[in-house]
Amino acid sequence: MSWFRLPDSPLFRIARPEDILLAPKPWFVALTLALAFTINLLPLSGAALALRPDFFALVLLYWCIHQPRWIGIGVAWFCGLLTDVVEANLFGQHALAYAILGFAAGYFHRRVLRFPLWQQALHVLGLLLIAQLVVLVLRLMSGASPPTLAMLLGNVSSALIWPIVSALLQWPQRVRSLLD
Amino acid sequence: MQGPVTSLPSEPPRFFNRGPSPLARLTFFGIASLALMFIDARFSALEAVRKVIATVVYPAQQAALVPEQVARSVGEFFESRGELRAENARLKAELLQATQAQHGYAAARQESERLQKLLQVAQGTTTRAQATRVVYQGRDPYSQKAFIQRSTAQTFEPGSAVVDELGLLGQLTRVHPLFAEVTLLTEKDFAVPVKVERTSMRALLFGRGPDKLPELRFVADNADVKEGDVLLTSSIDGLYPGNIRVARVSSVQHDAGSSFARIECTPTASVAGADSVLVLDKPPPLPPKPVADATPQEPAHRRRR
Repeated sequence: MSWFRLPDSPLFRIARPEDILLAPKPWFVALTLALAFTINLLPLSGAALALRPDFFALVLLYWCIHQPRWIGIGVAWFCGLLTDVVEANLFGQHALAYAILGFAAGYFHRRVLRFPLWQQALHVLGLLLIAQLVVLVLRLMSGASPPTLAMLLGNVSSALIWPIVSALLQWPQRVRSLLD
Repeated sequence: MQGPVTSLPSEPPRFFNRGPSPLARLTFFGIASLALMFIDARFSALEAVRKVIATVVYPAQQAALVPEQVARSVGEFFESRGELRAENARLKAELLQATQAQHGYAAARQESERLQKLLQVAQGTTTRAQATRVVYQGRDPYSQKAFIQRSTAQTFEPGSAVVDELGLLGQLTRVHPLFAEVTLLTEKDFAVPVKVERTSMRALLFGRGPDKLPELRFVADNADVKEGDVLLTSSIDGLYPGNIRVARVSSVQHDAGSSFARIECTPTASVAGADSVLVLDKPPPLPPKPVADATPQEPAHRRRR
């Protein structure tokens, strides 16, 4: 993926696990989650909707990987409940999917960070596909019509923007540690 | 001080208490979600929880609508005068036609009322309609939903019909304090009792899920249904007021292997792109169903005793 490079500046370089960053502020974590939730609610339809990455799941994954002491399975589960209400589907379906995301992220969090961003994105794609599969099985069991492969587009686009999301979410911490 | 040699534990001791293990947590929350799903699918006990969460996330929902509103108002600002004039002229022409049709309708209505009085049929009252807007379409790829705005003064009732200017859109399924969910008629297994306008034959229109046309099921192969026939609500279920346009028959296929025809219909309402909609009140309740149905269902051996 040489055609895509984040600018080579300490501001945009994602931290290695051995780098010491300042701890994120709790309000920043909450704010980014709320913002991602709101972006997910943008009134899109058609192709834009199919291609839209699941920002909420991405930001949740980011914090599950980078701040597993704060954001874990419980928070992810609750976020899933919120998604279920606004999407008006079976209560608990996204909750289960997000809880599994949270668990997998917690399990992988030491390993994922050792990879460059593009390989992290592949990990993220795998995790999102597992969550999607869980939802698919639950929906088919509750009698929904089988969806098309277009459903996977959202997961792929989510994984594609993972590097950008990671860089953005880590930005305040990096800036502050550079300034200090 | 030399005790027996013991092997080192395979895991380092836990210095910090972090609560239950991740797997235990996952099991707990997994079971909780499965229980929630089961309760939600079988009972309606969770509606109150849903309402609370829906009200809490309402600001986020409104915030998400802002970009579109801004884009729309910017677009309106730059809309040229010529376009507006053309639209105005078109609307005037349409109004003229509609007024004419309205005159005809009033006369027909009077006549129908007179006839109904003669026949002593219960009179259909005019149904009340409340106007509102579709805020956004559902995002779940598995189900067909739309979300409409609700001001606190509006009394929406789950089950009411929702129509746009072209026909039936669907049915209100959940009413939250500030918005309401509409299940669209393309939702899988969503049934609408309809009648064919031309022949008054009654049938059921079933939705088949996203990207598929709804179809008339259980219509005999030799029934008189043609391509282009218009389907209206039949008001036989007591949910929808009668004679709302629902769909137009788009294809009729006869299958030698089945005794039913395969009839696909295109909804007349713009299901994917509705904007302004009306929520129609339910028609007055039907007389109670006859109780006679209950007796034959008793087991046979009891009757013999």
